[in-house]
Amino acid sequence: MTTPALEVKGLDRFFGGLPAVKDVTMTVQSGERRLLLGPNGAGKTTLFNLIAGDFPPSQGAIRIFGQDVTRKTPNQRTHLGMARTYQIITLFAKNTLLHNVVISLMGLADLRFNPFSDLRRQTKLWDEARRMLGLVGLSHLAERTVSETSYGERRRLEIAMALAQKPRLLLLDEPLAGLSADERVDVQRLLQSIPRDVTIIMIEHDMDVALAFADFITVMQRGRIVVEGTRAEVVANPKTKEVYLGH
Amino acid sequence: MTRTLLLWFAGVLVLVALPHLIGSDYYINIASQVLIAAILALSLNILIGFGGMISLGHAAYLGTAAYLTIYLTAQAGFGHISGALIAIGATTALAMLFGFLALRASGLGFLMITLALGQILWGIAYRWASLTGGDNGLGGLTRPHPFGIDLANPTAFFYFVLIFFVIALLGIARFIQSGFGQSLQGTRDQPRRMRALGYNVWLIQWFSFVYAGFWGAVAGLLYGYYHQFVSPQSLHLTTSAETLLMVIAGGTGTLFGPVVGAALVVILKNVISAYITRWVMLLGFVFVAIVLFMPEGLVPGITRRVQAIFKGKSRPEATPLASIAEDNAT
Repeated sequence: MTTPALEVKGLDRFFGGLPAVKDVTMTVQSGERRLLLGPNGAGKTTLFNLIAGDFPPSQGAIRIFGQDVTRKTPNQRTHLGMARTYQIITLFAKNTLLHNVVISLMGLADLRFNPFSDLRRQTKLWDEARRMLGLVGLSHLAERTVSETSYGERRRLEIAMALAQKPRLLLLDEPLAGLSADERVDVQRLLQSIPRDVTIIMIEHDMDVALAFADFITVMQRGRIVVEGTRAEVVANPKTKEVYLGH
Repeated sequence: MTRTLLLWFAGVLVLVALPHLIGSDYYINIASQVLIAAILALSLNILIGFGGMISLGHAAYLGTAAYLTIYLTAQAGFGHISGALIAIGATTALAMLFGFLALRASGLGFLMITLALGQILWGIAYRWASLTGGDNGLGGLTRPHPFGIDLANPTAFFYFVLIFFVIALLGIARFIQSGFGQSLQGTRDQPRRMRALGYNVWLIQWFSFVYAGFWGAVAGLLYGYYHQFVSPQSLHLTTSAETLLMVIAGGTGTLFGPVVGAALVVILKNVISAYITRWVMLLGFVFVAIVLFMPEGLVPGITRRVQAIFKGKSRPEATPLASIAEDNAT
């Protein structure tokens, strides 16, 4: 049996006295497409932030590819093969799209510690960044600054930056949020083209897209996992309807 | 690239010709002071402009290196080279410690820690009179004679400082265009994102802090040689604030902004004060005018206005093809 991409055991996170994530245990197998569902405030993004290492859990353990990362920093987790996108787009607004991807590529390269080499002369890095932009259909905007692009283009850039790191575990936080119908189709197609050796955990509210994408679904409510199973199991579970419809 | 090289070459040529153009020893000395202040401002700009870390304790490195140089060379019997190397090495080590302490906080907390650390050093220099001479300071240093050149001569000393200035400028220019420098700018803009991309934000900021401290120490060494005397004033908050003013007035995050800012402040301080008693008030007015009319600083502000004239546009426009690296190269 292969090592799971992600194992979360008994994870708690309190903000003051408020439990944002409570006793969450889940295992995501390598290559799996996992969907995290739940209403606003269910703790999905907090769980993402805990997995990514943005803040430590109050209790519990996180393992990525068999390695305990509970006390590891976000950058250490990234070097283990994890990449993520953000619910609120987080880009370098004054830089070009190309430069954003270069920064992403450099995050895993020794070049990031080199104070002598001129970054502009690293042609391999820039070429690779152009290739990544091509993958998400943004080649024609490569030299444009982020502030001059549309919301949908920024979402695609976020994905390009995550994919540039050749992750083994990819966390996508609402990658379709705020996109037009056409852009949704583009991004959906892009997500489906990601090879199966990349494990994907995605938070998404668009049920049609999300259900079509996922192998396995985890439904959260008030910080806890309330339903977990395959698409059919989760859709058939009355608890899912209760979480979404409130009865 | 050729254009950039030509501009650099022309700039160095003008500086080399400067003593012959201005003639008077007094103004040559002012030019030396401008270059020393520019090295200090350039080093502070690494933190403020490229790292987003506003420090109010940068005089610590100027003063410490100056005190050590004078103490070691004039009082402890060290030679000029060993005294200089120890002074720069020890001051850089101090920057390592101060960086470690200051980077426990960010934003206002960082500013307050740097301020406090700088004031501790000022307090030591002021109170530990048996070692530092207290309020009277330390003196007795004679300038070195490298290759038999007498640096007591203002023109020779100007060229001596110019060599350090050019090395500092080139070193810092390369630093900000390097992978590391770009990483630093990323940590300034999106520290959380940088962590998620695999960058050790703390380490990048700490190393940059130490690098800035190193160049601050070089400025301190030259300051010691120039004045041949050092007092607690070199470590005081006002010196740090003045350096901060140079960076902000010239333009943070630009390579030449701090140089222009240093020239402005040093000239106002030394030349205008000969004619106006309340020169500090004038400096205040100039600073307010810069903030009102060119809030981004003199270098980016003037560049914007010149570009607007040539393009016939009055408002700034984002340049396509602009990347941090390209911005900083200009």
